[in-house]
Amino acid sequence: MRPDLILTPEASLFVSATSLRHRLEWFNRLRWGAAGLLVTAVAVLGSVTRIPLPVAPLLAVAGALALMNLGYVVRNRIFPARAIRTEIRIVKLEMACDLVLLTLVLNLTGGVENPFLYVYVLHVVIAALLFKGREIFLIAWLAIGLFTAAITGEHFGWLPHHHLLGASTLTHELRYIGATLASFWFVMLSGAFVSASIMRHNRAIKDELVARQGELMAADKAMIDFFRFVTHEIKSPIGTARSAIETAVDMQGEALDPGARDMLDRASRRLEQATDIVKDLADLTRTGVLRHEPPQPVDLAALATRIVDEQRELAAATGQQLEVVAPAGHVTISTSAAALGKILGNLVNNAVRYNRDGGPVTVTVTPLRDGARIEVMDEGIGIAPEDQARVFDEFYRTAAAQKKSSLGTGLGLPIVHRLVHELGGAVVLASVVGQGTKVTVELPMAPPSGIGDGGTA
Amino acid sequence: MRERTVLVIDDDIDLVEIIRVTLEREKLRVIDAQNGERGFALAVEQQPDLILLDVMMGTLDEGFQVAYRLRSEPLTAETPIIMLSAVGERTGFAFDKDKDANFLPVNEFIEKPISPRKLVDLVRRHLPTTN
Repeated sequence: MRPDLILTPEASLFVSATSLRHRLEWFNRLRWGAAGLLVTAVAVLGSVTRIPLPVAPLLAVAGALALMNLGYVVRNRIFPARAIRTEIRIVKLEMACDLVLLTLVLNLTGGVENPFLYVYVLHVVIAALLFKGREIFLIAWLAIGLFTAAITGEHFGWLPHHHLLGASTLTHELRYIGATLASFWFVMLSGAFVSASIMRHNRAIKDELVARQGELMAADKAMIDFFRFVTHEIKSPIGTARSAIETAVDMQGEALDPGARDMLDRASRRLEQATDIVKDLADLTRTGVLRHEPPQPVDLAALATRIVDEQRELAAATGQQLEVVAPAGHVTISTSAAALGKILGNLVNNAVRYNRDGGPVTVTVTPLRDGARIEVMDEGIGIAPEDQARVFDEFYRTAAAQKKSSLGTGLGLPIVHRLVHELGGAVVLASVVGQGTKVTVELPMAPPSGIGDGGTA
Repeated sequence: MRERTVLVIDDDIDLVEIIRVTLEREKLRVIDAQNGERGFALAVEQQPDLILLDVMMGTLDEGFQVAYRLRSEPLTAETPIIMLSAVGERTGFAFDKDKDANFLPVNEFIEKPISPRKLVDLVRRHLPTTN
């Protein structure tokens, strides 16, 4: 899962002073925008239209807004976030100042004549993003109070009125003022109500998701811990049984009846297979390799050589030649050496086990523009086209593979598939029956962030 | 020359029996304990020539803790220790044999399942040549 989608109580709003601060940085940017917009509007309207704006007072208001914002930014940079209650009180004060300045701008630009009076709604929406119900209505009521005071003040001549449309009489038209105020009150209060409801609903969903995700992650971890315990508990008795058989065979030496020895050898081999299955199952269920082992530079040729060397003894038994082909110099990518070692180990082991006697196994390392390619090629029994997609399924073994070697786990390629995916790469299989198989693994220069660190293993 | 003694500390009594049979055929005396505490006491009391010690008993790293205790006890500080560990164990206890062996006070690891021949080889190699 993408790390930024992992929900924490921190991510839920209104929880910590730090998360509140994070939001405020965004509002600071908005405020810079507002100050800039006001200056631009004054400049454009002053030069293009013939609207008589009081330029100096408006620029003073824009300056005051910018100055205040600078103060907020500096405060946020210098002082660490305080208790959540204190932070919220400061934010409320900031928003109140914004509303006062907005009212001042509105008063300077025609008051009731200015159609931009609904900029107040924006503040209510922002308040809904920041606060819970009560505070949203507080902001709405403050806006209503300031606007109503400004409009009535202008009407009764307690405040100066700046005419936008020459000698407009709108500010003296009581019916117009009444209608404007009614619509303003209605929009502000209904807006506050709707925003508060939506946000309350969203927060409830988020809280639910946080809780559910926590439960899921805990259940996942419990499952993996349980699986770990089970694999260990199964491996121990199997291992002891194998040792017991081997010891019994050793004790009898030459005296042991060949038929009995064959039976015990069979039992021992099947126990070995059971151990392999348990180990492979543990690998298959292990997720988050990159979280346990952060990506580091891996020299692919060196790794391939080490893996191939581990299989030489097995290969030599049937006269196979193992070879690593790599360009001069290092082909290095950032990845998990352990996971890639397991991938190559499985692929080379498969190649050796299903190769023709004396056939070559070639591991080719090729640098790509944005990563690297590793091919493991044999001249073995091959995989029929209808089986090629299924070999990545857990426990699926082709009939030919079962005939060639009865002891596979059927988990080698599923593990490869899983791990390659965790490393952010892709695996492709090409095969011709009777001629051989080539498995191509392509890996990125570095695993994309967020891949492979999911799970809780 | 007194009979040489190997102490096996492992909670798997069947495995202890396998090791006993194997080593007794090599004319070694085998004593055993099923937990770290008892194993440590027995090591101090009997001073065996070599100790076979399981990594995972009651807890994930009980074996290692016993190994450290044995090393810090003067009577057993020099006794060779061979640790029995399960291969590819994913127990949550971070332990890498290749990396960690140098920091651990043990002489050798033998991976489970234990092959009797390998066991005899390793024990012979690490048994002190003189008493």
